[in-house]
Amino acid sequence: MTLKKNNQNLYKKNNKLPFKERFRKNAIVYLFLFPILIHFAIFQVFPFLFSFVLTFMDWKIIGNHEWVGLKHWMHFFQDKLAWKALWNTFMFSVYYIIPTMALGLILALIINSGVRFAGFFKGIFFLPVVTSFVIIAGLWGWLFRGTESGLINWIIAFFGIDPQLFLADSSQALLVLAGLSIFKVAGSTMIYYFAGLQSIPKELYEAAKIDGASKSKIFWKITFPLLKPIHFYVAIITTIGSFQIFDSAYLLTGGGPNYATTTIVFYLYQQGFTNLNLSYAAVLSYALFFIILIVSLIQRKYIGKDTAIY
Amino acid sequence: MKKFSLLFLLLGFLLVMAACSDDASNDAEGEVGGEITVWVHPYTGDAEKEEEMWNTIVKRFQEDHDAEVNIEVIPWANRDQKILTALAANNGPDVFYAIPDQMPQYANEGMLLELDPYLEDFDLSDFVDTALVSTKWQDKTYGLPILQEAYTFFYNKEVIEAIGEDPENLPATWEDFEAWAEKAKEQGFYATTFQGGGSMNGTLYPYLWQAGGEVLTQDDEVLINNEAGVEAFSFINKMYENGWIPEDSITAMEHDAIWNSGKMLAVLGSGISLTNMQSSGEIDFIIGPPLQNKEQVTYGTVGMFVIPSNTDNPATAAEFVKVLTNADNQRTFNEVTQYIPTRESAKDIFEEQPYLAQLASYTQYALPGVIHPKGRDIMPMIQAELQTMMEGKKTPQEAADSAAEAIEGAVGQ
Repeated sequence: MTLKKNNQNLYKKNNKLPFKERFRKNAIVYLFLFPILIHFAIFQVFPFLFSFVLTFMDWKIIGNHEWVGLKHWMHFFQDKLAWKALWNTFMFSVYYIIPTMALGLILALIINSGVRFAGFFKGIFFLPVVTSFVIIAGLWGWLFRGTESGLINWIIAFFGIDPQLFLADSSQALLVLAGLSIFKVAGSTMIYYFAGLQSIPKELYEAAKIDGASKSKIFWKITFPLLKPIHFYVAIITTIGSFQIFDSAYLLTGGGPNYATTTIVFYLYQQGFTNLNLSYAAVLSYALFFIILIVSLIQRKYIGKDTAIY
Repeated sequence: MKKFSLLFLLLGFLLVMAACSDDASNDAEGEVGGEITVWVHPYTGDAEKEEEMWNTIVKRFQEDHDAEVNIEVIPWANRDQKILTALAANNGPDVFYAIPDQMPQYANEGMLLELDPYLEDFDLSDFVDTALVSTKWQDKTYGLPILQEAYTFFYNKEVIEAIGEDPENLPATWEDFEAWAEKAKEQGFYATTFQGGGSMNGTLYPYLWQAGGEVLTQDDEVLINNEAGVEAFSFINKMYENGWIPEDSITAMEHDAIWNSGKMLAVLGSGISLTNMQSSGEIDFIIGPPLQNKEQVTYGTVGMFVIPSNTDNPATAAEFVKVLTNADNQRTFNEVTQYIPTRESAKDIFEEQPYLAQLASYTQYALPGVIHPKGRDIMPMIQAELQTMMEGKKTPQEAADSAAEAIEGAVGQ
């Protein structure tokens, strides 16, 4: 341990060249970096900082803006609807993250198993990812129509199940929307997992086979643990995606019934662009930012550790 | 890196200062001349025809006025954001198209120019009264209307025959309609559509107005849970419980498939529905009058042109809006777009189109929604209560009371 620390210190010291020298050495990098940094500053850093300033103001589009201090932040803590929206978003993540990862992994295992026409299946599984969300949502809404003529209702009728209201039922609507997102996104998680599966050295499988390990043992002891970096990456992006869910509620339920599908981004959109309450929308976006940040940090701590194979 | 972050902070600070300092000027004086920019939208699918239409209208304006007019066609998608960002950057149009729930919201924020000083010698008597309602906020006029719509029931003739009723004798009151709805239900049809996931303008409001009620006055008085309001909530509840409207009505965004497959007696529609039904030709329909309970009222949006308060050329902009909405230009505009003119004298364009003439005769009953800066904010609140009621978790009275409470909260904010 102390040896490692010493090494690090040594490395740091060696790296600390005088500024001039360092600059001369890296000038070309700065040259290429400069336009990107300008772009980054204008389109990322500035809006980020400015929206923070917005949270302390009553921002009028035209005319005089008022400084109101912490008014919007205080309102956020008392706004039941905002908390309901956060809760809905959390429930959506519960319905969405694990199934998306599981389905993506299963699909990846199928196309990686050497099944015939693997390329064809890959294309089919990936199709929802490249299809426009509006189209997919339209199809989903049509499948899950809450009348007897809806396709899913028609199918479940054969099993003696009564017609369900689906999107018109406050206890089912969020689940149906989560199903839509899983269907839409599983294809891309499949690609990540597929890449991960390809990168696992074949020797490990051969060694396991020689040792007489069963198929399920090989999966749980070799494949699954070695996919850890992929699990981490997919978990992060599906989590962020789930917290940003907006379009399906916007397209299919309008946030209803009775706010059951009002997610935080949907609420933020309503506040900002329907009610023109841009300052409060900025508060909500900061709340969302902190939540995503904290969740990502937690995920990094628990599943983001480097996995050494050997 | 420290230097960089300091630079960003400075940059941010400067931009905030710049954004804070642009005060809106409001100058009622001025000569007509110079240049104005007008933001319009694609009102039909035919861009060429519309361009011709705008050329005609601009030429008419330039016959009497020496000014340059730039017409810019802005796509409908995200129009609010586009207008807001342009206006915030002081880079927006001098005239733009607005709809009724947008006008009071913008006007209340001080974003619109009051037109009354420009309308002193201007005769407004030719305009349909209900169309002018949407241009006024707190007794001040902020726009002039160019188009109007009227929603009313389109009945499926085959269904009318199937339930043994007379297409020549369509329902006029709630009572009549209820009797037809019950018969339709017995024969396995839905009576009508109810888009509970959509705008209240197409669901609760028309029934509420017909019952003699009002949602919210311009003086912030909340009336949604008075007797008339509760009657409207109850009527919707009854329609849902009796199965007159489809099971998914709680959050449905459309019921086109049900109507198009001939399984629905009547659908609430306007000029666009007419165009669609005529072009598909699948349903043999007949148009009925807006229903009446205590009053005969319906919903119909209005399209108007307004002027932002930070325009550089208010006099020319105001003059252009007046010319744009005169009878001749309304004829030209509405002939192309197939909307209904807001001037009585311009309605003669539909002399040979009986259906449109019939719809045009209903605009006098068509209210443009809740004219209030919070008109948009309160919709999701009312919608949520209506949905809770339809799910059977609240009585009509409870739902109306909760809606009133939520509206009061929003207005008091």
